[in-house]
Amino acid sequence: MAQPLVKKDDDQEDEEYSPFLGIEKGAVLQEARVFNDPQLDARRCSQVITKLLYLLNQGETFTKVEATEVFFAVTKLFQSKDTGLRRMVYLMIKEISPSADEVIIVTSSLMKDMNSKTDMYRANAIRVLCRITDGTLLTQIERYLKQAIVDKNPVVASAALVSGIHLLQTNPEIVKRWTNEVQEAIQSRAALVQFHALALLHQIRQSDRLAVSKLVTSLTKGSVRSPLAQCLLIRYTSQVIRDSSMNSQTGERPLSDYLEACLRHKADMVIVEAARAITEFSGVTSRELTPAITVLQLFLSSSKPVLRFAAVRTLNKVAMTHPLAVTNCNIDMESLISDQNRSIATLAITTLLKTGNESSVDRLMKQISNFMSDIADEFKIVVVDAIRSLCLKFPLKHRSLMNFLSNILREEGGFEYKKAIIDSIVILIRDIPEAKETGLFQLCEFIEDCEFTYLSTQVLHFLGNEGPKTSDPSKYIRYIYNRVILENATVRAAAVSTLAKFGSIVESLKPRIFVLLRRCLFDSDDEVRDRATLYLNTLGWDGSVGEIDKGVKEFLFGALDVPLVNLEASLRSYEPSEEPFDLSAVPKEVKSQPLTEKKAPSKKPPSFGVSANGPTSPIDAYEKLLSSIPEFSSFGQLFKSSAPVELTEAETEYAVNVVKHIFSGHIVFQYNCTNTIPEQLLENVVVIVDASDAEEFAEVTSKPLKTLPYDSPGQTFVAFKKPDGLPSTGRFSNLLKFIVKEVDPATGEAEEEGVEDEYQLEDLEVVAADYMLRVSVLNFKNAWESMGPDYERIDEYGLGVRESLAEAVTAVINILGMQPCEGTDVVPNNARSHTCLLSGVFIGNVKVLVRLSFGIDGPKQVAMKLAVRSEDEAISDAIHEIVANDEAISDAIHEIVANG
Amino acid sequence: MLLAVLFANTDGNILIERFHGVPAEERLHWRSFLVKLGAENLKGAKNEELFVASHKSVYIVYTMLGDICIYVVGKDDYDELALAEVIFAITSSTKDACGKPPTERLFLDKYGRICLSLDEIVWQGMLENTEKERIKRLIRMKPPADV
Repeated sequence: MAQPLVKKDDDQEDEEYSPFLGIEKGAVLQEARVFNDPQLDARRCSQVITKLLYLLNQGETFTKVEATEVFFAVTKLFQSKDTGLRRMVYLMIKEISPSADEVIIVTSSLMKDMNSKTDMYRANAIRVLCRITDGTLLTQIERYLKQAIVDKNPVVASAALVSGIHLLQTNPEIVKRWTNEVQEAIQSRAALVQFHALALLHQIRQSDRLAVSKLVTSLTKGSVRSPLAQCLLIRYTSQVIRDSSMNSQTGERPLSDYLEACLRHKADMVIVEAARAITEFSGVTSRELTPAITVLQLFLSSSKPVLRFAAVRTLNKVAMTHPLAVTNCNIDMESLISDQNRSIATLAITTLLKTGNESSVDRLMKQISNFMSDIADEFKIVVVDAIRSLCLKFPLKHRSLMNFLSNILREEGGFEYKKAIIDSIVILIRDIPEAKETGLFQLCEFIEDCEFTYLSTQVLHFLGNEGPKTSDPSKYIRYIYNRVILENATVRAAAVSTLAKFGSIVESLKPRIFVLLRRCLFDSDDEVRDRATLYLNTLGWDGSVGEIDKGVKEFLFGALDVPLVNLEASLRSYEPSEEPFDLSAVPKEVKSQPLTEKKAPSKKPPSFGVSANGPTSPIDAYEKLLSSIPEFSSFGQLFKSSAPVELTEAETEYAVNVVKHIFSGHIVFQYNCTNTIPEQLLENVVVIVDASDAEEFAEVTSKPLKTLPYDSPGQTFVAFKKPDGLPSTGRFSNLLKFIVKEVDPATGEAEEEGVEDEYQLEDLEVVAADYMLRVSVLNFKNAWESMGPDYERIDEYGLGVRESLAEAVTAVINILGMQPCEGTDVVPNNARSHTCLLSGVFIGNVKVLVRLSFGIDGPKQVAMKLAVRSEDEAISDAIHEIVANDEAISDAIHEIVANG
Repeated sequence: MLLAVLFANTDGNILIERFHGVPAEERLHWRSFLVKLGAENLKGAKNEELFVASHKSVYIVYTMLGDICIYVVGKDDYDELALAEVIFAITSSTKDACGKPPTERLFLDKYGRICLSLDEIVWQGMLENTEKERIKRLIRMKPPADV
């Protein structure tokens, strides 16, 4: 149980008046003995229960024995006829939540109450029973619950419906049987019953699109009384619209009339919900947007803070995709900058930053300056992010915006806030060349008085990369060397590296840098001394090296080219031996989706703290697993493992998915099988693979799974040989074969004799994307330029009629299986053109960069220009072949120009 | 889902708390976060004036009732507008139980009734009842007046 945040201080003045003054668990437990009195004093008992509740709320915990004692004592109170006390008893039982073996004591009393003539006994007993019940008891009381759902007393009906919502998580098959009753409850005259019934019915049917669509269509015609239920209905409606617009070709949006009508509803919450739903339409038109924006604008000046917040939050989202639609609200929005509720003010500011034009920037910045001093860091970060986007939008305004950033950098602030500012300045320097010198100078000033080691080292690293390329690199040296004199060892070491970078790039500064580096040889920290020694020697301070060769620079300052997480994992698993650590053996793949990709998502509550240490990357787990199987040990280094591909429908008898493991000359299919039938045990499970549609593949070995008990997943493998280093593709059909044995549910023992059986699985494809690792680059522009145009191949393709630009972009990304860079996989709504940047490593460890330019015209014809740069001519051509030959788009593709 | 309802005094001591779907180890973060939010914004706030905040995909509506700070936290269906309904139900029945906006002392005097009212309003993360008159009857085990 929870601990109180601050324990009450006995000296506090008002404490002496508290009815709970000096309360002690031991004494209260002693007092609870009154529950056992033959003549129950209802008032006294209620008081004791209140004390127990207070203790629980104060974070006091009861031991198992204490909890059991209290629970048993409380059950005695069912003898009392006092209704007030009975209400307390219900609450207390819910609070103690007795263990499964104790529940039995109270079930008969509760079942009696559930059939009581007094409605309120029924409602409360239902709630308590559903809180403490398990599956077996539920089947006993199901009949009563179904009756309760249609009870004429709304409290009883709501109690049963809300219980249903909770029970659906644990016993879905039982609750799904209540559909008829729930449907009847939706027609109830009581507003809240309708609300609860709608929520439950939607949850029961949420995986059945057609049923949801029918439900929504019928309810939007009728009258839903409760505004809360109306809001739910609006949400479900927009879901139906989203799903249906994916299929319909007519261009008409179903049910939008209903949403528009909701804009005129009398309840504010319904209006906001409808406006929100409309603004979230994919490809929303300005005709659809206007009425929604108008009502939201009215709410901006509402006297209710919640409405102002809801309106500004929605408009803020709209401003990201349709800034022009929101400009009408700018005047109302400006008055919200001084809103007492800082969340509202921050949202208003960030919206204005998105919708403002170039001429209003200066005025806005002035207003924001006054505002910044009195908001919390987390709001400031949002503002900083918005200013960064604004600066990228209006590069001519960089002077005043950078000034603003440098001013706030000097003020007090926590690490996250300062980091956001530094990150913004770095991005602006990178993208706006004119801002570079001022920006670098601001960063220099910042590290003169920076309390965060991490930020100092980041800035020093950045200075080392950018400083030497400026017109006067020497002016940065003073700031950097100051760090060597004044800072802690980590920062000193970073400063030494930065100095060395200047020395290696700017020939004229070299002698002076050597002087400074030589001083570092006497540093008190060994890392600083080691770095200085390394740099002095590799840069040739004794005159041994004239021109610094490219290899040295690459070694000293080149990127590692492997994700640090992977490097860390490899280093941890490296065992000291004669064999040196091999950097090229570190997996380069960016951590992909978790193993259980398609399993139903568990509803995890949001986490406030920094997320806990992530699980080991699946790639590592696969590598370990495969290397433990002797049959695969000769296949060499694992290049890539795909995400699991489901080969069975959800909720079938046997769930099977497959992971494709790619080696240079082999491919291994790992079939993950789960047996979902408790009465069965499977043995000798194998997958028979027919590779007749995959000519280049030849099966070499298959590894069966000995036993597959209920609900405990196991794996079987099939390995194929393929042409070495080539991206061979093909289609494989799969048949699951096994011996099935009946299991006695009582004893859990399987029968001796089994029967052979088989189960058809879906086909599996190996595609070109399987040979591509998703590896990101930090700065695409730099990477693109340094790759050079030697092996560049450019072609144009027509992709035919597509649903939207976003859909076309996603399709091409998936075909190539590459990593989108710099967030370019996201296409703004209604965009007519888009550029997407991708990077990856193709089999054979060849780096590939792709620049995709898309355009869409009126009848939704999409054209694409594909520019590929790689380290190998043949691979650049191969990437084009992948796109040109892909079945998913080939029927639409025709090459227009080939100018490779 | 209604993730949390918290009552605290002005010093940040928790008086009543109800969490749903929040793991025990995250509750301390929530308490400190909410109490800090209240300390920064509720000082000098008018009685029952609503404050709103959002943190990631979670919404928070909070207010001051007499000497008591009340926070409700929700996500998904329970956005700021739904939470406003919830907190309105909570403040009105708390006032009803205490007879006026409560001091801490008065609040503790009526502790049992307030716990019962809360039990009628929020149950396992769902809003169950909203009208104070009905809640007043329900905690005395009387059926709603309109039945």
